[in-house]
Amino acid sequence: MTQTRSTKLPRQNAGTPRTPRTTALATRPLMRWRGIDLITAAMLAVAFGVMFWGFDTFIYPILSTATAGFPPLGELMLGVWLVPAVVGALVIRRPGAALFTELVAANVELFLGNKWGAAVLLSGVLQGVGVELVLALFRHRRFGVVVAVLGGALSAVFEIVFYEWQSYVGEYSSMWKAVYLGCGMVSGAVIAGVGGWLLVRALARTGALNAFPPGQEVRESHLI
Amino acid sequence: MPSPLVRKFVSPTSSETMPPETVRTPAPPAMQGAVVELRDLTWRPFGRREPVLADISLRIEAGSRVLVSGPSGSGKSTLLRALAGVLSTTETGDLTGSVLVDGSPASGSSVALMMQDPGDALVAGRVGRDVAFGPESFGMARGEIWSRVRSALACVGFPYDQDHATSALSGGETQRLALAGVLALTPRLVLLDEPTSMLDPAAATVVREAIIDAVRASGATLVMVEHQLSDWVHEVDRLVVLDSAGRVSADGPVAMTLASSADHLAAQGVWVPSVAAPRPLHVPRALCMPSRAGLAGFGRPGSVLVAAESVSVVRGARESVMSANQRAKPVEALQDVCAEVRAGQCVAVVGPSGAGKSTLTALLAGVDAPTQGLVRAGDGLSHGMGRQSREVVDRWTSLALAAGFGWVPQQAEQVVVARTVREDVLSTSRRLGLDDDAAQARVDALLEVLGLSALSGVDPHFLSGGEQRRLALAGAIAHGPSVLVLDEPSVGQDRLTWSAVAGVVVAARAAGVGVVLATHDPLLIALADRRITLLAGRVLEPETDPLPPPEQDVLSTVAPAARRFAGLAGRSGPLSLLLVSIMLVLGAPFISDLPTALAAIGVQIALAPMVLGIGALPWRRLMPGLFAVASVSFSNWLLSPGREISSGALAGLRVAFFVVPGVLLASRIDPSALGDHLGQRLRLPARPVVAAVAALHRFEGLGEHWDQLARIRRVRGLGPGRSPLARGRSVAALTFGLLIETLRQAGRMAVAMEARGFSAALTSAAPRTWAEPAPWRSDDSLMLALGLFVAAVPILFSHM
Repeated sequence: MTQTRSTKLPRQNAGTPRTPRTTALATRPLMRWRGIDLITAAMLAVAFGVMFWGFDTFIYPILSTATAGFPPLGELMLGVWLVPAVVGALVIRRPGAALFTELVAANVELFLGNKWGAAVLLSGVLQGVGVELVLALFRHRRFGVVVAVLGGALSAVFEIVFYEWQSYVGEYSSMWKAVYLGCGMVSGAVIAGVGGWLLVRALARTGALNAFPPGQEVRESHLI
Repeated sequence: MPSPLVRKFVSPTSSETMPPETVRTPAPPAMQGAVVELRDLTWRPFGRREPVLADISLRIEAGSRVLVSGPSGSGKSTLLRALAGVLSTTETGDLTGSVLVDGSPASGSSVALMMQDPGDALVAGRVGRDVAFGPESFGMARGEIWSRVRSALACVGFPYDQDHATSALSGGETQRLALAGVLALTPRLVLLDEPTSMLDPAAATVVREAIIDAVRASGATLVMVEHQLSDWVHEVDRLVVLDSAGRVSADGPVAMTLASSADHLAAQGVWVPSVAAPRPLHVPRALCMPSRAGLAGFGRPGSVLVAAESVSVVRGARESVMSANQRAKPVEALQDVCAEVRAGQCVAVVGPSGAGKSTLTALLAGVDAPTQGLVRAGDGLSHGMGRQSREVVDRWTSLALAAGFGWVPQQAEQVVVARTVREDVLSTSRRLGLDDDAAQARVDALLEVLGLSALSGVDPHFLSGGEQRRLALAGAIAHGPSVLVLDEPSVGQDRLTWSAVAGVVVAARAAGVGVVLATHDPLLIALADRRITLLAGRVLEPETDPLPPPEQDVLSTVAPAARRFAGLAGRSGPLSLLLVSIMLVLGAPFISDLPTALAAIGVQIALAPMVLGIGALPWRRLMPGLFAVASVSFSNWLLSPGREISSGALAGLRVAFFVVPGVLLASRIDPSALGDHLGQRLRLPARPVVAAVAALHRFEGLGEHWDQLARIRRVRGLGPGRSPLARGRSVAALTFGLLIETLRQAGRMAVAMEARGFSAALTSAAPRTWAEPAPWRSDDSLMLALGLFVAAVPILFSHM
C-alpha cells in the first residue's frame, strides 16, 4: 500500500520515519512542468489512443450491439474513455495533467478516424476538466482512491450533462436521461476511478513510475 | 564517405527559407572542444542504499577522446547523463560533487548526448524537421536552423533528402540521423552511449565512421560508453574503467589501461580485443529436453519438425495517425522462401538488416502467418498430436503452439508474463499442465545455471538488459518445446550473457530440439549446422549471384493525396479545418426540429462538392460515424416520451450534422502541421504542443508493440482463448505491458529531448522557434467563413 489518508507534505513528515505512508507530491512550483512530465503525459495519451482504437474496433461494436435493447447500459462503458484523465492526473500530479492527457488521447482518436468527428475534442476537454476540478478541490495534495473515484464520476457528469444530453440522447424522456447519467457516473467512478487508481499503483510497483510521485511512494514504503 | 551534395529541400511550405541552388557540403565550423572537470561526483538515486556513481574525479582535456567501460551496472550511462546535465530527468536522488564543462555547470547547446537505441531520439516525421529540433529549442532564426540542418546531415553523410520520412529509415540510418540531430547544435562535448550496440556489423561500421569523421572535423571532446571495446580502441586516446561500485578502477592511455585490466574486464563481461572469445556456458542437456521426447515415434534426430513451403509475406501499412497526406505502399518482406527446421540441428538465418530474418523466424515459430504459402509441422513434431497438427501452425491454439515452440524476439525485455522471475519461467509449464514438481525442479535448475536464482523472487521489470535476455531464454525453453527460435539473441549483450545464450543453443540441440537463430554474430553462426542466407526477402543460394535488392520506397516519398480536384478542404490549413469541425459540434444543439435538421444537412450536402472535391467518399473511415448515427436514432426512438419515429430521426440527423463533415475534414489534417499552427498562430505554450506532436509520432510503434506482446503471450500458452473473461484478462495484460513500455520510452525520449534543449527556453531569454511557418491563406479564411455559415444554419433557420 502506498496511498494514505495523510494530507501532509512529505517535508513535514520527514522527522517522523515511523509514518511511511505519505502522499508524494510533484516538485514545486506546481505549474512548472518538467520536460518528462509533458512527454510522459503525451506518451500515455498516445498509448491510450492505441487502446481506444482497439476497443472501438474490436470490443465496442459487440458491446453496443449487446446493449442495443437497453441503450443506457452502453453508457456503462463510458469510464473506459475517462481513464487517461484519471491516470494522467494521478501520475503527474500537476494542475492540467488530466486535461492535457485526455485532450491528446482525443486527438489520437480524431486523427485516426472515429465515430464522433471533432466532438471527441470537446468531450476530451469536458472529461479532463471534470477530473481537474476534483483535484483542485483537494488542492492537489490528495491522490488516493477517493479522489480518483470522485474525479471519474465528475468527469462523467461533465461529459454527459454538457454534451451527451444534447447530442446523443436529446430526445430521451427526463427519466431516461437521469438513468443514462447514473450509468455514466457509475462507470466513471468504477472503471476510470478505481481502475485508474489500481493501474497507477500497479505501474508504480514495476518501477516504471520512478520519476514521478507514485514511484517515490513505492520507494519510501520499501525503505522502511 | 559523406555525400558531396545535399539535395534541395522540396517542402513547399518552407521553400522561402531555402536557397534555390544546390548547396555544397560546408566545412563544419572549426572550434575547440570543451574541458570537462568532475570533482568527487557521487550520485545515489532515492530508494537505493549504495551510490551508482561514487567519488568520481576526472579531468578531460579539450579535444580528447575518452572511452568509458566497465561491467553492466557500473554506472557508465549514468556518468554520461551527469555530464549532459540530464541526470535528474528520469530519477530523483542525492547528487554531490560537481560537473563542470568549461568551468560552468553542464547545460545548454555545448553538450550533446546520443543514446543507445536509435529510435529514442526521433521527434518528427521528416528527416529535416527532426534535425531541426535542437536549433528550434534554442530559439534560432529559421534561416540559421535550416543551414545547420543541411550541414549536420552532410556531416554524417546522410543518404536522403530532408523530406524523407523518418519511419522509413533503417536502424543505422536512424542512428546517423540522431548524430546529425546532436551535431546541429555544434556541441563542444559529444557524449555517446553505446551508439552501435543495437546495429548489425555493416550498419555499425558506417555509423562509427560517421561519428569519428564528425568528431574529428569539429574538434569536439568525445566521451563514449561501450562494452564492445575492439572497434573503438584505435579511435580513442584514453580508457576509463568503472567498477561495479561505480568507482574509477583504471584510467589512462588505452594500451596501458588494457594491459592492466583486460582480463579483469573480460571476466566481468566486457568484450576486450586481446582476450579470446567466450565459450558457451555448460547447460545440462536435461534442462532443454523436449517434453514430448519420451513419446513413441517422436523426433528422431534429423526429422523435420517444421517446414515453410514457399512462403511470402507482404506487409500492409499500419493504421496511422500520421496518414493524413501519405499512402504507404505494402512491403514485400519475404518472397517465395522455403526453410526447414530439423530435430537436433541448429539453423542460422543470416543476411543484412531488412533482409527478412525476423519475418522468417517469426513464421517458423508459428507466431505470424504468411501471406502466401504454408508453414506446417513435420512428422517429427506433429506425431501423436491429433487433428490440430494437420493445420498450418499459425492457426494452432495458443496451448498447442506453446507445447511445440519456444520463441524469444529481438526485444527480450518485452517478454514479461508474470510477477516474479520464477513464476514467469514456470507459467508456460503450468499452463500446459506439465507435472508440477518436475517443472519446478527444472525451472530452478535453469535459473541456477543462467545465474538468475538469486533473482527468482524479483519482479522481472527490475532486471538489467542482460538478465532479461536470460530470463526470456529460460521462459522459452523451460516447458520443453521441440523448436526453439531466437531472434538476434546476442545483439548488444556482454560476454556473460553471450555464453548463456550459446550454452542454451548447444544444450537444446544436443537434447534433440530444432534451433533457429536469426543473427549477425559470427561466433553464434559458427555454432550452427546449416545456414539460410536471405537477401531482400529471398533465399540466396550459394551458387547464384546476389540479386539486386528491389526498389523499396515505402513511405519514403510523399504521394500527394489526390491529383484530382481536392476541394477547398484540400487547400486549407489544419487550423481552419479543425475550427470548422468544432463549430459544427457547437451548432448541432440548436437543431430543435426535423425541418431545421433537414435544412442544415441539405446545406451541407449542397456545399460538399465545393469543400471536399469530387471523388469517392472514404466509406471505411465513415462507417463508424454512420453506425453511431444509426444507434443514436434507434435509442432516442426507443426511450423518447412517445416513441415517435421523428424523435429518433431528429436525434440521428443532429449527430450526423457534425460527425460526417467532422470525420471527413479531420482526415485532411496533418498533426505535425497542426502543431506548428497551434504554436505560432494560436500561441499555445510551445512545450506541450511539441511533446504532443513528438508522442503522436510514436503511435505506430506502440501499435506494433501491442502486436508483439500478443505474439509473445500466444507462444507462451497465454493466448486469449474463447471465453469473454479470458479475453478481458488478456486485453488487460496487454494494456499493462504496453503502458510499461510507453513509460520507459517516454523516459528515454525525455532524456534525448532534454539533451537537445527541450526545456532550454525555461532558463534562457530566447523562446522556442519553429522551423516551418504556419501560413494562413485566403482559402483558410474562406473555409472558416463557410464553416461559420453552416454552423449557424440551425439558428438562422429556426428564426425564419
